[in-house]
Amino acid sequence: MRRLTRRQRVSAIVLAVLALSFLTLDLGGSSLEGAHGGVRGALGSLYRGTDSVIGPVRRWVQGVPSAGTNESEIGELKKENADLRGRLAARRSDEHTTAQVKALQQAADGGNHVLLPARVIAYGPGQGFDWTVTLDVGRVDGVRVGQTVTDGVGLVGRVLHADDATAVVLLAADPGSGVGVRDTRTGELGVATGDSGKGFRFVPINAEAQISVGDVLTTGPAGSTSFVPGLSVGTVTSVRTSADGTRSAQVRPTTSPTEVDLVGVITVAGRNLAGRAPLTPGGGR
Amino acid sequence: MTRARVAAAVAATITALLLQATLVGPAFSPWAVSLPAVLVAAVALVDGPATGMSFGFAAGLAADLGSRHPAGVLALCWLGVGLVCGAVADRRSLRRDALTVGIVCGVSASAATVLLAVIHRGGPALDAVTDFLPVAAVSTVLAFGVVALVRAMLHTDHLRAPHPVYTELLVGPSRAR
Repeated sequence: MRRLTRRQRVSAIVLAVLALSFLTLDLGGSSLEGAHGGVRGALGSLYRGTDSVIGPVRRWVQGVPSAGTNESEIGELKKENADLRGRLAARRSDEHTTAQVKALQQAADGGNHVLLPARVIAYGPGQGFDWTVTLDVGRVDGVRVGQTVTDGVGLVGRVLHADDATAVVLLAADPGSGVGVRDTRTGELGVATGDSGKGFRFVPINAEAQISVGDVLTTGPAGSTSFVPGLSVGTVTSVRTSADGTRSAQVRPTTSPTEVDLVGVITVAGRNLAGRAPLTPGGGR
Repeated sequence: MTRARVAAAVAATITALLLQATLVGPAFSPWAVSLPAVLVAAVALVDGPATGMSFGFAAGLAADLGSRHPAGVLALCWLGVGLVCGAVADRRSLRRDALTVGIVCGVSASAATVLLAVIHRGGPALDAVTDFLPVAAVSTVLAFGVVALVRAMLHTDHLRAPHPVYTELLVGPSRAR
């Protein structure tokens, strides 16, 4: 260790006293405020210039220690995000299913039917028809060929074939099949034929029948259709009169054939005769 | 002191302050690693205590005036850095010098923390203890480069410290007869 000379010791003491004087002055008041401001201003402009050059390097250096951590954190967040999205989708699906079950229940209550809930498990052509879906219920569950299938709001189709565990349903919108329907406004009967995904084409039996846009068509009449009567088929969206005077209408389906998910097979159609009394002249019984 | 040495000292101080504010400080935050303190220590190791404490006081005062804390804190601490490093310098190995710089800078940072805690009547005085080792370690690493650079710079003809010139006289009987 080097020994300090007398001059160095004196210099050190002087400088230390000077530093303590500056400290006291600065703590005591605003004597050095001007000096602070001047040096800060000069250094501040230099800092800005330097930072524009060194800033990218600094950010890189600062990012190095947390690079691995960030990657794993990003991975965890992605996983968490996917999980939350899955839960959200599941919740939406649950809500959708709940709404469908409610609709089926209302249909069962309103039409006095016995409905067997079923899930669509496959779409696609089958047995020569293009518009079919496969349900997860079959003969064991009480499904029989010819039974009507609804989604609780409108007509979906009818059972074409039933195995022990599954059933194939021919959709009402199938282009090769027709549905006997009634115009609920005028009572006119006719046939609604599937129109390649656009809905139905309705042709009334009475060529002069009055059809208007907005008319609602339901299955019917009872006894002369292979479907349970009274189910909504669709709404008239346009009416067309051909050169020979024949009228036809384009019908938007109540149930989209490509969106069916939870449906109900009407295993026992309600006749709803309870409380129905014969009508007598004068309204008395 | 030559004009070239003064210019070099000013340039080195400004460069160290700029690098401290834009690169070293943010990179090692929250530790109070100080590049100017390492520079002061390196200069003192090469040039001795007189240069070390003068340079430390001047650089510390400039840093004080450019910051929000009261002037004199860093001037006092870096004065001590220059004095101690100049006194203990043996100039035998770069590794030993770097370790000396690291320890002295760590102590200086702790002293500044305590001093500011006293001035502000409270504050993170405990950091003086907990931050000592990290600050000393990082300062040691920085010192390897800074000490080598300062040695190379101060051994050039323009920046070499002026020393007394001795005239060697050969006294004795002449062999040439």
